[in-house]
Amino acid sequence: MQTLKYILKRLVEMFITLFIIATATFFLLAAVPGDPLESRADRLPESVRNNLYLKYGLDKPVLERYVITMKGMLKGDFGESVTMPGYDISRLLKETLAPSARLGLQTVIIGITVGLLLGVLAAMFRGTWIDYLVIFFSVLMISVPTLIFGLLLQKYVAGRLHLFPIIGWPKGKDLWLGGWKYTVLPTLTGCFSYIATYSRLLKTSMLDVVGQDYVLAARAKGLSEAQVIRRHVLRNSFIPIITSLPMSVAFALTGSFFIEKIISIPGFGRYYVESVQSRDLSIVLGQTVLMAALYVVVVFLVDILYTLVDPRIRLHK
Amino acid sequence: MDDLLLKVEDLRVSYHTYAGEVQSVRGVSFDVKRGETVAIVGESGCGKSVTAKSIMGLIMDPGEVKEGSHIWFEGKDLTQNTKKQWRDYRGNECAMIFQDALTSLDPTMRVGKQIEEVLLVHGKASRAEAAGKAVEILRRVGIPNPEIRVREYPHQFSGGMRQRAMIATALVCGPKLLIADEPTTALDVTIQAQIMDLMKELQKDTGAAIILITHDLGVVAGIVKRICVMYSGKIVERGNSADIFYHPHHPYTWSLLNAVPRLDLENKQSLMTIEGTPPDLLDPPKGCPFCTRCRYCMPVCREEEPPVTDFGDGHEASCWLQDERAPRTDAEFMHNLKKQENKD
Repeated sequence: MQTLKYILKRLVEMFITLFIIATATFFLLAAVPGDPLESRADRLPESVRNNLYLKYGLDKPVLERYVITMKGMLKGDFGESVTMPGYDISRLLKETLAPSARLGLQTVIIGITVGLLLGVLAAMFRGTWIDYLVIFFSVLMISVPTLIFGLLLQKYVAGRLHLFPIIGWPKGKDLWLGGWKYTVLPTLTGCFSYIATYSRLLKTSMLDVVGQDYVLAARAKGLSEAQVIRRHVLRNSFIPIITSLPMSVAFALTGSFFIEKIISIPGFGRYYVESVQSRDLSIVLGQTVLMAALYVVVVFLVDILYTLVDPRIRLHK
Repeated sequence: MDDLLLKVEDLRVSYHTYAGEVQSVRGVSFDVKRGETVAIVGESGCGKSVTAKSIMGLIMDPGEVKEGSHIWFEGKDLTQNTKKQWRDYRGNECAMIFQDALTSLDPTMRVGKQIEEVLLVHGKASRAEAAGKAVEILRRVGIPNPEIRVREYPHQFSGGMRQRAMIATALVCGPKLLIADEPTTALDVTIQAQIMDLMKELQKDTGAAIILITHDLGVVAGIVKRICVMYSGKIVERGNSADIFYHPHHPYTWSLLNAVPRLDLENKQSLMTIEGTPPDLLDPPKGCPFCTRCRYCMPVCREEEPPVTDFGDGHEASCWLQDERAPRTDAEFMHNLKKQENKD
């Protein structure tokens, strides 16, 4: 009963959060000088221009547009794109989300798996060359921007060695499970930052747990080092990982502007940045609200996950 | 001597730090007979816990048990143990209770599972039997509703119950030796007494020997038979508890006794403290380690290590005051003690 009440309370909070985010996005875009039609409509005759403004409702005052937009949003209608005629947010999602999601999933799965393995290694062999090697690469991977890695890989691995295609992404029936050679470079480029983040996160967390009294107590019980790590250290070290994990997945799913741009992947992240640049309100609003919804849900899931890993945490007071 | 369970011989433990070699334990020897209780008393940093950990084989890098140290357990030298032998011994032959039960229980594991773990790792019970044994031992240590409690997590236990659960974990395999490292320090006074009573009671049942490590002479009174007073990595005085309480010979023991709060003193004097701090074990003094804080310090104390004086019946102290050439200065203390006894 109390859990149900808690979940209801959280749902209301989530709704309010989304409302605030949508409102803020709307007014921020409205506050930017000019409008999305400006560059296109300037060269058109007066009457055509007026018709265009009429069509997108840009002739009305800001507050009225806000009410119309919000009403539409409640029905799930974000309006038609200004810069891409015939497109609205759902059509754009249908066409661009799959490549972004596949790239994101591959990146996250490889990045986090490798990162956690390296983290365990670094913690278990702390102070040895293995530890220093992991730290060295983590710092390198986190300091060099994704973009640079992407371009370097493109130039040398694809350009010089011809191991993989320079640009492109599988289409059609290969969309999810084929054309692997196209996905290697972008996945590699993307996963470096995850490897770096997670190896360091887990190492720090493990070293913290290894120093705890209950680990000493576990050793005093006669458990072998492997048993101590498996039963007591790992479980407790994963508590901080659990918070970041779903966030990383959500982040990865929504695409990466840089990687999608340089490898020419028709993904979601690219359109997000481009529609902000062209002030394409309906698309920006749609994407922002959807991404915000994804994050809010993920935060909620993290809270529930917490109670599963750490029995000390309960959902309600 | 068949009733000898543990014999520690010239134990030296050092920690290698950036600042240099910290000599935490500097040649400690004592023995424990089957079923008896021995207390190791001393202030923080005097090497009590390190001694305990050495007996459990829990000295980890950068710590090192020095060459020449011997720990005989039932006639076998533990310092020659392989990793596998240590694992079979820990928790099974010899178990340890830690100071802070809150942090010594894994917060993410059910209490019952933590007890079963010991049984399973030593092959003392099958999975099915272990669950029953965990309930049984929790009931034995006085936890109400153990059938429900085994399914709970440590944070759902109160401080005293956590320490009871720790004791249950330590005793479930029926060890011959139990090392209790400040088992009551984190508890409030009423619970302290309960826990000590419980340990005494369980000892009667199981016949386990206990090494009780504490900084509080008040805790050991009436419970232990023999007391070793440790200071700065050495045992400065040892003897049975009557000797230590009523005829102490080392100035450090006098100070410790004065630091025990008492209700029966006539003039409600404030607690005595021991001025100063223990010596730096990076560079131990060549003379008596207590000389910088000792009220009766003589020139010889700074220069040469005091010899061990034997007072008979296993009562020994290392102090220059016992030398026949030294002035008789313990009069003041003995006088104090007389006055109290007359009062009683």
